[in-house]
Amino acid sequence: MNTTAQQLDTTAIAPAVYATITDAICREAEKALESGAVAAVVGWQAGRRQGTAMPAIVTTPADTDKLIFSPACVNNLALYLSKAKKEIRARGKIAIVVKGCDLKALVGLMGENQLKRADIHVIGVVCPGVRGTSEPLAKKCRECTVHTPEGADVTVGTLPELPHFTPAESEELARLEAMTPAERWSFWKEHFARCIRCYACRQVCPFCYCEQCLCDRNRPQAVETTPRPAGNMAWHIVRAMHLAGRCAGCAECERACPMDIPLNLLNRKMAKELKELYGHEAGFEVKEKGPLAEYRENDDQSFIK
Amino acid sequence: MHVKPNHTFEPKIVAFVCTWCTYAGADLAGTARLQYPANTRVVKFPCTGRIDPVFILRAFQKGADGVLVSGCHPGDCHYMAGNFHARRRFAAFRALLDFIGVDLQRLQFSWVSAAEGGKWVEVATELTERVRALGPMREFKELEAQEQWSGAIDSPELQEAYEAVGNI
Ligand code: SF4
Ligand code: SF4
Ligand code: SF4
Repeated sequence: MNTTAQQLDTTAIAPAVYATITDAICREAEKALESGAVAAVVGWQAGRRQGTAMPAIVTTPADTDKLIFSPACVNNLALYLSKAKKEIRARGKIAIVVKGCDLKALVGLMGENQLKRADIHVIGVVCPGVRGTSEPLAKKCRECTVHTPEGADVTVGTLPELPHFTPAESEELARLEAMTPAERWSFWKEHFARCIRCYACRQVCPFCYCEQCLCDRNRPQAVETTPRPAGNMAWHIVRAMHLAGRCAGCAECERACPMDIPLNLLNRKMAKELKELYGHEAGFEVKEKGPLAEYRENDDQSFIK
Repeated sequence: MHVKPNHTFEPKIVAFVCTWCTYAGADLAGTARLQYPANTRVVKFPCTGRIDPVFILRAFQKGADGVLVSGCHPGDCHYMAGNFHARRRFAAFRALLDFIGVDLQRLQFSWVSAAEGGKWVEVATELTERVRALGPMREFKELEAQEQWSGAIDSPELQEAYEAVGNI
């Protein structure tokens, strides 16, 4: 048995569930392209190796049958609609296939004026879960709250009965929170020291669309660009800070990281803090201002003397 | 004869202040000849809203043992809302630093108005004393001193990666 089949077995979701969704996506994409409503569909297609998938941009009805949905459809395609990918947006109205977590990224991009709702056609997928890089089921899917995307133009698929999963990532977060600051420092120091500054995490994130990243600037230099431990620490702090209150939790940054740095733990922590402090949860409604771009006069200031 | 006490630890405190309230307050402390420890290096900004968390990070990285950030009281901001925005940003940044494992006792935020020379002295003295008791901020200095990433050529991660490539 190959590893892909094994991994599918452990998620205990019947392949037929994914096959049904695949059919529905192809039909919806074909309809949208044939009617001329959209100029292109952003979805997933089978990768070159068995059991993998990769992003696809389809522009003709005939090509829509290459679209798929499988446990390998991990990519958050919202990335392709941010301003950083101008050439795709220039085609006109675009249809995009999204899982619930990816839709949160789209909603965030709309809030940040990167995207207009009227310019996209959203094909939502009721998602039973996708594969992780080293585990049978991605960590984020073990505690997913958005299996069924809300507010898509069409939603395909029905949710099968899902097995009970332990929330591995929340447990890890709680474990870290219970540590002393010194223990946490050594935890992160070990992880960040491995970072090779390839910036895959940044390139794959729908919210890292700045044309010039602070971390690439050297006059003045705020963050060292070489992969020395000191610069790495600064890079990770800046990254987490710039995504605080915006991150959709798609965990693409962590998936793309070749050094297995648990980046989504940081994202999750910041999301949790901003929820506790300001009642803000990213990605559920289009908001013009995130929690760090607005204020209330009576915000907590117990930490200020 | 003056003997330089180089055997004792003297904390370096970097203070980021806004020009309209806290800088004027610190100035008042000076003209009123109020005494406070000389450990504080003041950096003036147009507004607390301009103080990017990355400055605080940079200060620690470049050897600060403690950082003080201070601006106008809520409602007194020269630019109306700069300090309100800063307050949220600093609240989030503190939470992040804490999660990374930085001792928050080394980071102090305060509101000091142009009339509060005394409060400036109090805040600066208190932070200096606290950091003096804590000792030097070693964490960032250690990182600065480390030149290599820990992924040595025979690390288990790399071995695993090589094996995975072999198995495709
Ligand atoms: S987090 Fe939820 S919506 Fe996203 S891939 Fe996992 S199961 Fe699907
Ligand atoms: S920071 Fe990571 S988890 Fe958050 S939106 Fe970007 S890629 Fe997704
Ligand atoms: S993807 Fe991983 S190794 Fe690359 S810059 Fe990001 S954290 Fe560092």
